[in-house]
Amino acid sequence: MSLRDRVAIAGIGCTEFSRDSGVSTLTLGTRAIMAALEDAGLPPDQLDGVATYRVGDSVLPAVLAQTLGIQDLRYYVDQFGGGSVSHSVVGQAALAVDAGIADYVVCYRALNARSEFRMGGTGRPLVDAVETQYQAPFGYFTPPQQYAMAARAHMERYGTTTAQFGAVAVAQRAFAEKNERALLRMPMTLADHSASRVVVDPFRLFDCCLETDGAVAVLVTSAERARDLKQTPVLISGVSWGSGHTLYSNEQPDPTRTAAADMAPRLFDMAGIRPEEIDVAEIYDCFTYSVLVQLEDYGFCEKGEAGAFVESGATSLGGALPTNTHGGFLSEGYVHGFNHIYEAVSQLRGHAGARQVEGAEVALSTGQAGYISGNSSALILRRDT
Amino acid sequence: MRSAQDPRLPQPPIEPQTDRDSAPYWQALSEGRFELQRCTECAALRWPPRAVCNRCRSFESQWESPPATGRILSWTRTEQVFAEACREIVPYYVVQVALDAQPDILMIGGWLAERTPRSGESVEMDLVRPDPETSTRLPFWKPAETD
Repeated sequence: MSLRDRVAIAGIGCTEFSRDSGVSTLTLGTRAIMAALEDAGLPPDQLDGVATYRVGDSVLPAVLAQTLGIQDLRYYVDQFGGGSVSHSVVGQAALAVDAGIADYVVCYRALNARSEFRMGGTGRPLVDAVETQYQAPFGYFTPPQQYAMAARAHMERYGTTTAQFGAVAVAQRAFAEKNERALLRMPMTLADHSASRVVVDPFRLFDCCLETDGAVAVLVTSAERARDLKQTPVLISGVSWGSGHTLYSNEQPDPTRTAAADMAPRLFDMAGIRPEEIDVAEIYDCFTYSVLVQLEDYGFCEKGEAGAFVESGATSLGGALPTNTHGGFLSEGYVHGFNHIYEAVSQLRGHAGARQVEGAEVALSTGQAGYISGNSSALILRRDT
Repeated sequence: MRSAQDPRLPQPPIEPQTDRDSAPYWQALSEGRFELQRCTECAALRWPPRAVCNRCRSFESQWESPPATGRILSWTRTEQVFAEACREIVPYYVVQVALDAQPDILMIGGWLAERTPRSGESVEMDLVRPDPETSTRLPFWKPAETD
């Protein structure tokens, strides 16, 4: 039986996003989870599952569960990985709930990625990647460098420009201006983007996402149980797991085509919809280029056309596909994918205030499109009627 | 292949963390030879080195020396200092090359020309020895010599 619409997100919570939380990841995680339980109206002693993902930068979920007073944990996920697996953790929880393994599973991500382990700048070598040996000796070991390589290939093949990268950043900053959670809210113009310093050609500073301290949690339960709680349920209509490009990919020799291209048909099929029916999209934006390639690979525009699509205003408020309506990782904060799920749920509940996409019923939220890690994941969410 | 002077590598050098699959590759490079595995069953080359062919799943292969030539698929120029070892060398290029011998093999390497790499241009490998104390040699690429 299809999983479509059988499981729901019943509560969401987040901490402040900052450059220095001043507290542990355990504290961050518990704050976000308690906020999600409060949001749902679920007594904490009913929580019976925890699901998270991390790259050695966060507290053991078993410790967190004990801290929350869970005596008998009926389900757990402790997935190694970053944003690429982020949305799969919600999928895992959905499978467990649907199978009756647990009733209320909270999925969360808690990290001090600005004040403690920083993915993009400490020089700490990539963990667990046998292929690092072929790259690190050249001084090539961070996501901005690896993504820049793919971005340049896309520019060469399709004529994508750095101005189009800028269009992504500018469109998202406009949303962030209306978002009290966002770390960066100053207006940005294309000139501001092109004046920002080069990090690794073709990426400038404003092409790269933030590094953030914070936590986000979402409570997953059956659609029936969700209807008994406080908020309008947000149904999980589709969830997908996928592959991608590892650091070396002679199985995936085209760096301009991501795992999303293979994963999207399965995702939309599970949800029973076409891309045109998506009202709002939260697309993994570790870099501006990441948004462009996914707009293509999820089927919102033709291959090579995403730059023009964004330049046309299609991804801005009032456009055909408002995208990263919180400002995204470029401007709101970066909780490795989970703040996209938070925003998608807010939009579908009609709680996005000045950023609200009118009549939003169905949202896409995506994990990282499979570069580096070789894994991807995504969700289609639907407001319950 | 001759070993070129090292113009653009981290100081101190970052040694590749070799493993049981990659040891023969690095050993051959240190002796001046570029070697890859060719599947005995289906004749595909593979990269990076490992025990199994990704196309036919055979465990049988042999090391051989394909031509060390290819085409530039992409390139980056790093300007931010991501590690102290790179502070003196920014900005530096890193290229991604599609091997002529089998174009789905993509190799990361250094860049030996003074100018920006050009997408699609033909390139040849030269080996660079970053550290006189070790036998390690790394694959760099330079524009192919034209006759």
